[in-house]
Amino acid sequence: MSPLQALAFFLREASLSLRRSWKVSLLAVFTIAVSLFIGGLFLLLTGNLARIVADWRSEAKAVVYLVDGAAPETVEELAAAARARPWVRGVTKVSREAAEERFAAAFPQLAELLSGWDRGPLPASLEVGFDPEGAEGAALRSWLEELRAHPAVAMVDDDRQWLRQVETLIAVLRGSGLVLGGVLLAAAIFTIASVVRLTAYLYRDEIAVLRLVGATEFVVRGPFFVEGFIQGLGGGLLAVAGLYAAYELALSQSLPTILGSVLLSGFLPPAELLGLIALGGLAGLFGAFISMRREEESAGA
Amino acid sequence: MIQFFGVSKLYPRERLALDDVSVSIPRGQFVFLKGPSGAGKTTLLKLIYRDELPSSGRILVNGRNVAAIPRKKIPYLRRTIGVVFQEFNLIERKTVFENVSYLPRILGASVREQKRIAYRTLARVALAHRMGAFPSELSGGEQQRVAIARALINEPEILIADEPTGNLDPELSREIIRLFIEINRRGTTVVLATHDPTIIHRVGHRILVLDRGRLVRDRVLTSSRDTFGVRGDSHLPPEDAAVAERAS
Repeated sequence: MSPLQALAFFLREASLSLRRSWKVSLLAVFTIAVSLFIGGLFLLLTGNLARIVADWRSEAKAVVYLVDGAAPETVEELAAAARARPWVRGVTKVSREAAEERFAAAFPQLAELLSGWDRGPLPASLEVGFDPEGAEGAALRSWLEELRAHPAVAMVDDDRQWLRQVETLIAVLRGSGLVLGGVLLAAAIFTIASVVRLTAYLYRDEIAVLRLVGATEFVVRGPFFVEGFIQGLGGGLLAVAGLYAAYELALSQSLPTILGSVLLSGFLPPAELLGLIALGGLAGLFGAFISMRREEESAGA
Repeated sequence: MIQFFGVSKLYPRERLALDDVSVSIPRGQFVFLKGPSGAGKTTLLKLIYRDELPSSGRILVNGRNVAAIPRKKIPYLRRTIGVVFQEFNLIERKTVFENVSYLPRILGASVREQKRIAYRTLARVALAHRMGAFPSELSGGEQQRVAIARALINEPEILIADEPTGNLDPELSREIIRLFIEINRRGTTVVLATHDPTIIHRVGHRILVLDRGRLVRDRVLTSSRDTFGVRGDSHLPPEDAAVAERAS
């Protein structure tokens, strides 16, 4: 039997078996679809979050708030010293007035808060933009500490601190998703293994005849591997379809929150979608492998 | 040729199924294997087609030590041995054609070729006209003939039958035995296990008697030969004749 003939034989036998026991096969497809859907959902949300955070990181800066009445020469010295650093992309001086204008533009409803003060409440500052590639390391941290200790500096607010926290949160979320998806995938593999085992049990008479007339184990087991693979692939396709439907539904509901727009900023890339489908197929194949090992042990072949 | 040299088979819990059996069955011989239930007939047959392994001793089938055949090569041994059971072991959801053509199918024959081979083989058991029927639509005798056709599909050198008439009435049993005689006449070695003495004594041939795992008798019956309607000259191969001579 040539490989093509074998494949055709396996496909024919597997499709026959899937048709005959379509209810349990559907159960296997659904369980794998649910596990991949949940894993994919975590991938989608954390992927979007990570992309946004990466964008933010590229624009990350430290804001050096100056004490009230800091001498212009001192401010100029601080700005020049910052520009001299290799990881600094640019330094922008923001006066108290400019800060107030920005605040009023960003939060028009809160603009009234700025009125009634003798002097504006917002301090002048230096905005230090970083080169995203080089803005890490001990030298930078030590420089920021120096700045904090400078008498003309009231406070240093480093964007990268909270970005790191968000990144840690993303990693935790992604890890949780992987663990949850992994557990569900294991359950799905177990389900597929059980379904294939059940099929093998239902067809034990035929398997016995095949072995009796001289079929090789490759021919005996091939249809079951194909069956598990098809179930897994079906589960993967269903999960991807479900993810896309959920994504489109969420978009059509136009989540008004910033979080919503961040989490749904884009769908999974094709490589990840193919990866999910392939993972389904491999899980099915693995389930079939486990069940065939058990069948072989019990048959004593 | 099938040769057993001091073969014993011990199943778990110390159950001795075969005890130091030595026997030689020449090519083309018709051998009855007789003995009460539990005598070891089925075990002996299973050892021939490597469904069981001997606990000790050596078994040669056509010169090959079956116990030494690697697992991956067992299917190639089985393609040279046809096996028929008492229970027919037909697949109820498959047609007669599908039941018979397993081997051509797994060997990659086209559907047309499968049909040609199945038709030819079913014609030998006079069932070519029932290719599209399902086993449940056939009588017991017809079902056993389908099982025989499945065993014959690859023109095996050896045909093993384990109580093939056990589920059939006397008339159908006669029909099936007649078929085995015909198959043997074409040169196939037939080893048929039965506990039905009427069949053995009417047909004759070589008889191996097992009792509690031991081969207690090896003789050839020639006096009351009944060919069950199969015409032709005596088909006793020279080896049979030699055994008969020794036995007499």
